[in-house]
Amino acid sequence: MNKVKQKDLILYSSLIILGLAAPYLFSAFKVQLTYLCVLIVLAMTWNLQGGEMGYNTFGNILFYGLGMYLTASVQVGMFFPLAEWTESGGEKTFVHTAAQYFQGIGVGLLVSAIIPAIVAGAIGYAILGLRGHYFAICTLGLGIAAGEIAGGIEIIGAGQGFTTPPFPAEIVDTEARGKFFYFLSFALLIGTFVFVKYIYGSRFKLILNAIRDNEDKAEAMGIQTMKYKITGWMCSAFFCGLAGGIMGGLIGYIDSTDVAFDGREMGVFMVLMAILGGKGTLWGPVIGATLFHFFKEGLWTLILGWQYVALGVLIVVIVIYFPEGLMGWLREKYPERFGEVIDEKDRKAQVELK
Amino acid sequence: MNKIAKLFVTFISAITLALVSFTSSFAKVEGEYIVLGSAISLTGKYSSNGVHTQNGYNMAVERINKMGGVEVQGKKYKFEIIYYDDESNPKRAAQLAERLIKQDGVHYMLGPYSSGLTKAIAPVTEKYKIPMVEANGASRSLFTKGYKYLFAVLSPANQYLEVAIDLAVEKNGGKGVKIAQAFEQDAFSQDVRLGILDAAKRTGSEIIIDDKLPKELNDMAATLAKVKAVKPDVLVVSGHTKGALTAIRQISEMKVDVPMLAMTHCDAAKLSKQHGKKSEFALCASQWHKNLSYKDKFFGSGKKYAKDFQKEFGYDPPYQSAESSAALLVFKDAFERANSFDRDAVRDALVDTEMQTFYGNIKFGPGGQNVAKPMILFQVRCKGDDCENRVVAPTKWASDKFYHPIPKWSERS
Repeated sequence: MNKVKQKDLILYSSLIILGLAAPYLFSAFKVQLTYLCVLIVLAMTWNLQGGEMGYNTFGNILFYGLGMYLTASVQVGMFFPLAEWTESGGEKTFVHTAAQYFQGIGVGLLVSAIIPAIVAGAIGYAILGLRGHYFAICTLGLGIAAGEIAGGIEIIGAGQGFTTPPFPAEIVDTEARGKFFYFLSFALLIGTFVFVKYIYGSRFKLILNAIRDNEDKAEAMGIQTMKYKITGWMCSAFFCGLAGGIMGGLIGYIDSTDVAFDGREMGVFMVLMAILGGKGTLWGPVIGATLFHFFKEGLWTLILGWQYVALGVLIVVIVIYFPEGLMGWLREKYPERFGEVIDEKDRKAQVELK
Repeated sequence: MNKIAKLFVTFISAITLALVSFTSSFAKVEGEYIVLGSAISLTGKYSSNGVHTQNGYNMAVERINKMGGVEVQGKKYKFEIIYYDDESNPKRAAQLAERLIKQDGVHYMLGPYSSGLTKAIAPVTEKYKIPMVEANGASRSLFTKGYKYLFAVLSPANQYLEVAIDLAVEKNGGKGVKIAQAFEQDAFSQDVRLGILDAAKRTGSEIIIDDKLPKELNDMAATLAKVKAVKPDVLVVSGHTKGALTAIRQISEMKVDVPMLAMTHCDAAKLSKQHGKKSEFALCASQWHKNLSYKDKFFGSGKKYAKDFQKEFGYDPPYQSAESSAALLVFKDAFERANSFDRDAVRDALVDTEMQTFYGNIKFGPGGQNVAKPMILFQVRCKGDDCENRVVAPTKWASDKFYHPIPKWSERS
C-alpha cells in the first residue's frame, strides 16, 4: 500500500510542478493553458453525473453561465452602480483600482460557487426525479432557456453583452493578467481534482454507481437516492460556477448565448471530453479534455471552414471505436494494469460461448 | 510507477517537447512582408458577412501590393494577413486575438466582423498595445470605453437609422410618427435601437411595438402579426443579414402593409437579388454606396471598386467589403506617415489620419470612431424584375427621390 502511495506521490508532484512551471515554459500559451484547466474541470464535474451517476446532463452549462454573470456582476456591483456599467451605449467610464479588482473577483468567485450550488439544489429537487432521456432533454432546455432569459435582463447588459472589468491598468506587466487567470484556474483544477479523488474513495461514489446501475434496487436497499443525486449535482454546480467566473474574467466580454450559456459549444464539449477520455473513471475526463483541447487548438486552424466537420468525424470515431473512451479501451486491452485479475480459463470459456 | 502512470508521463513530456519547439513565433515584419492578423467569422451565424469582410481585406491587400506596397524608411513592404476563423463566437475571437498576438507575433490587427466580436477582441489588443483598425464594429459602446488602440473606419451604429425616422417625420408634416421596431439580441442591433429611441424622443414620436428577436433570426411572424393589428407609420428591423432576409420573406408572405420599412444589411443580404420585387421600397441604412463621389488612387471611384470587386468575387460589393478594404488603406497611410514599425508611432499616426478613400473621408474622433463620414440611406427600386439599390438620402448624393408611402400589397403587381 505504502509503495503505491509513493508512486502516486511522484506522479502528482511532477504534474503539479509541471502545472506551476507551465506559464513560464510556454509563456505564449497561457490563455490556452487556462482554457485547458477549465475544460478539465468541466469534464470532471460532468463525469460525476454522466459517468458515475448515469444521468446525462446538458444542464451543467447553466451553472457555468450563472457563475460567469455572477462573478462579473459582483465585481462591478461592489464598487459601481451595475445598471450604469452595463447600460447600453455605456456613456460613463468606470475604472477599478487594483485593490477593487481583486477584492471584487474574490467575492465574486465565492458568490459564483455558492449560488449555482443552491440553484442546482432547487432545480435538482424539481427535475432529478426524471430518468434517462427525459432528464437529458429537460436539462438541455435549461441551458437554452437561461441564455434567452439572460439576453432579456437589462441590468446584466441583455443583448448588448456585459463587458467585464478590465484588468487594472496600474499593473504594467502585460503578462500579469495571463498569469493571474492561469494560476486561478490551475488552483481550481487542483481543488476539483482533490475533491473528485476524495469522492472516488468514498461511499458516496458507490452510491452514485448504485444509482447508475439500478436505481430501483438502490432505493430498495434503503438508499435515499434523491438526496444523493441532488448532492452530487450541487457539487458539480459549485465547481462549474467557479469555472464560469474565471472564464468570464478571462474572456472579458459576456454574451448571453455565445459565451455564458454556450450550450452549443462548451455544453457539448464537456460531454464529449468526458466520453472521449472514458466516463466513470478518475483520469478519463482529464485525458479526454487534454487530448480534445490539443486536437482543437492544433488542427482547428489548419482546416479552416472544415473544423466542425472534423469534430463531427471525431465524435463518430469516438462513439464507434472507443465507446468506453480511451480509459475504457485501455482497460479492456490491458486489464491487468488496472489491477484486474483475469481468469484465462473463464475468459476462453466465454469466448467459446459466443 | 505503474504502467498507466508511465504512459501518462510520456504523453505529457511529448506534449511539452512539441510545445517548446513550437513557441518560436515569427515577427510582425518578416522580410518584405508586414504581417497583419485577423479573426474572421468564416463559419457560424455571421459567416456571410465574415466572407464579405475577408474579401474586402484580400482585395485591398492585393491591390496595394500590386501598386508598389507600403514604403517605410525607403524600403517597399507588402501586406500579408493571417486569418483565423472565430466561428462567430466572442469567446473564440478573444482567444484567437491572444493567439495572433502571442504566438504568431502579430503587431497590427484588422477587426473581425460584428460589434460583439470586436467588443471581445478590443480588450486584448488594448492590453498588448496593438493598433487595431476595424471596419465592422459599429456599436457605440466600443467608443466610450477609452480604448486607445482601436480605430473604426465606420460611423457608430446608433446613427444607422436615425435619419430614417427624421424622414418619416418629415413626410408626416413634422409631426411625430408611430414606430414599430424589432431588433435582434445582439450588440449591433441593440445599438441601432438606441439610435431610434433617441430619434423618437427628439421628434416626439411614439414607439408602439418594441420587440427583441433571438439570434439566428429565422422567424418574426409574431412581431409582424402585431404590426398588422396596430398599423404603425414606420417598421424598423435590424438583425444582420438573416434579419433582413427573414423580414422581407415574412412581410411579403403575410402581406403586411406598412407605409415605411427601414432596415439594415439589405446590401449584404443581396435583398434586391434574392427577393427581387418583394423587397421593393425597403429603406436601408448603409455605410457606403458605389454611387458616392469619393475617390482614391488605389481603387479610383466607388463605381470602379464595385466593378473590380464584381470581377474578382462575382457579386456586387456590400458596404461591409468596401469598409474592410478602406481599413487597409488607412493602415498603409499610417505606416508611411509613421515611417516606422514602432507600434506606438503607428498608433500616433493613426490618430492623425485625415484622408479620402473611395469609401469616404476618414478622420478618427477621440473614441476611435470615424467622424468624417455620414451614413446614407438607399431604397430598393425595381424596373420590371430588375431591382437595385438607389441612394435617397442625404440629398447631396441622392440619385432618386424617396418613395413614400409604400403601396399596399393588394395594389402591387
